[in-house]
Amino acid sequence: MIVRSLVLSAGFLAALVTGAQVAHAQPPITVARVTGVGPIVDPSATLWKDARPVKVPLLPQSVALPHMPDPVVKELTVRAVHNGGWIAFLVEWKDPSVSDRLMVDNFGDQMAIQLPVETTATPPSPMMGNPGGRVNIMQWRAALQYDIDHGARTIKDLYPNAWADVYPDEVLGATDARPYAGALGIENPVSRGVASPVLDQMAEGWGSMTVKPDQHAVGKGVWKDGIWRVVIARPMTSDDRNAPRLAPGMRTSVGFAVWEGGHREVGARKGWSPWIPLVIPAAAPVKAR
Amino acid sequence: MGKVYNWQLGREIDFPYEVERPEKQFAMIFDTNKCIACQTCTVACKTTWTQGRGQEFMFWNNVETKPYGYYPLGWDVNILDKLGVQAMDGPVYNGKTLFDAAPAGEIILGYLPDDRDYAHPNIGEDDASGVMPQGAHMTMPHMQWMFYLPRICNHCTYAACLSSCPRQSIYKRREDGIVLLDQSRCRGYRECVKACPYKKVYFNTQTRVSEKCIGCYPAVEGGRQTQCTTSCIGKIRIQGFLGKPDKPDADNPLDYLVFVKKIALPLYPQFGLEPNTYYIPPVHVPPGFLRQMFGWGVEQAIETYRKAHEDPKLLAAMTLFGATPEISHYFRVDGDVAVGYDAKQAEIVRVPLREPTVVRELYDIKNKVYRTNIT
Repeated sequence: MIVRSLVLSAGFLAALVTGAQVAHAQPPITVARVTGVGPIVDPSATLWKDARPVKVPLLPQSVALPHMPDPVVKELTVRAVHNGGWIAFLVEWKDPSVSDRLMVDNFGDQMAIQLPVETTATPPSPMMGNPGGRVNIMQWRAALQYDIDHGARTIKDLYPNAWADVYPDEVLGATDARPYAGALGIENPVSRGVASPVLDQMAEGWGSMTVKPDQHAVGKGVWKDGIWRVVIARPMTSDDRNAPRLAPGMRTSVGFAVWEGGHREVGARKGWSPWIPLVIPAAAPVKAR
Repeated sequence: MGKVYNWQLGREIDFPYEVERPEKQFAMIFDTNKCIACQTCTVACKTTWTQGRGQEFMFWNNVETKPYGYYPLGWDVNILDKLGVQAMDGPVYNGKTLFDAAPAGEIILGYLPDDRDYAHPNIGEDDASGVMPQGAHMTMPHMQWMFYLPRICNHCTYAACLSSCPRQSIYKRREDGIVLLDQSRCRGYRECVKACPYKKVYFNTQTRVSEKCIGCYPAVEGGRQTQCTTSCIGKIRIQGFLGKPDKPDADNPLDYLVFVKKIALPLYPQFGLEPNTYYIPPVHVPPGFLRQMFGWGVEQAIETYRKAHEDPKLLAAMTLFGATPEISHYFRVDGDVAVGYDAKQAEIVRVPLREPTVVRELYDIKNKVYRTNIT
């Protein structure tokens, strides 16, 4: 049995109780319809200009231990588009430096988008859902982005003067060497960026987040001139029971979280947003002949 | 935060989870008076478990010199400094544990080492506490001293690593109290690396998750002691299982040495984690220093140790160290022999309490030669 200590401050009780409502007037995010087929991943694509940018303020995380009372990133700019098959979000925020090199005292930049799985009911807790109230959390990691763009950093890359005489995978077959590969050998999803720098996950409350066996979320993050521009996209409908089924004419909610690696933000130590209304306008009616 | 009972501190402490003591608790006793820092244990552990990429710097078992050695750098002095001076008086510890001292918004008091703190695992080796002045003679305890401290993960009853993980990726096994870090669930947050005061969880840059000593659980499950224990050429270690502190079994060598004779003491009990590695203190080191490291029972433990040869049962328990690779669940004295038994009470080892000695005469009559022939 687990005895959890909850420290709820007044500001977040409001978010918890009212669910979809936000404490002060927050403009909704309207998903613009764009043409095209297939996943949308490029932050510099021209289609983003069709979407109206919305500013999303971020809050300190002071509900679940350990807290982050002063996250560095205070605000995101969000644009959303869909092409009938895929929905994509472009999230931008200021960051003076890239953090994508993971060492014991180096953490990576990350950004996540949260969608409630059930779109008809009142959304679940904005704090990563609650038991019975599942959320889909798609988390982009700068370290995984680096893996895909440049290949994962080896020990020689991180420690140019390091030397090891022999590794098991140099003398054993792949199967026999696998026990020496630790988490990589059992395909821990954070060990390598494989196809996508975005982890497609679900959660039912903080502490329960789990990577899905089938990954549908894609994306790409590019840092330039002190700004991260990160796209996260997913299919609007799929047979994934832990993802929302989205369609034009729908209103739901969306939440965001950001981790500034340089500030040692990771896990629970993050800036996060409560639910923001997400509007997918109905398709324009077909003109009668 | 809930309340759990810490027998080493003689009181209840705050801990984030309810904990039922395991059926039997994996535990190890080290005789620091015998350790020579040959590092065979370190090499045994590394060869077995940490040969992979990203594990090069990891020493799940390490041996450091006290007072000026540490791996990673300053692990104990740093956390002691953060905790602040606490009164190390028994039988009830009235100072703060690391949970008591947790800053606002944190589960436990801790810190994240710098990457370079791991770069010099042998720093301070053989550095004595000070310089011996000209004309000095040896006193007891030594006026300048050093001793070796071999360390593994303590598989604490109230593990800091376990308590700090927001994803509950670390768990303590019911059957033997071994603390394990789930390699598929970990996401590399390093809350555990930060929380463990003994700094026995390590971050792997190649797998991007954290790793720690696994208590050689495949061996332990098969009734065999850990690699670091069985490889020790000085026979300074014994690994077995502790029972419940309120009902010790005097026929279990670990229970006997820890609970009954109190000759082996926990490492930095004031942190509050109830570590399950126990140390027979070095008899030549000033007790004032040892009290901070092993608690208020050091003087009594040293006295018991120095008189161990007068107590056959105690001597028998000590003689089991390094006598067999199998785990002794029970033991007894049979005349001048120590006998160890496995979980089913089958005999696994017999060891004479006194090593048989033979005196060889100077002149070998049979071969007509002096045994001191040097040509």
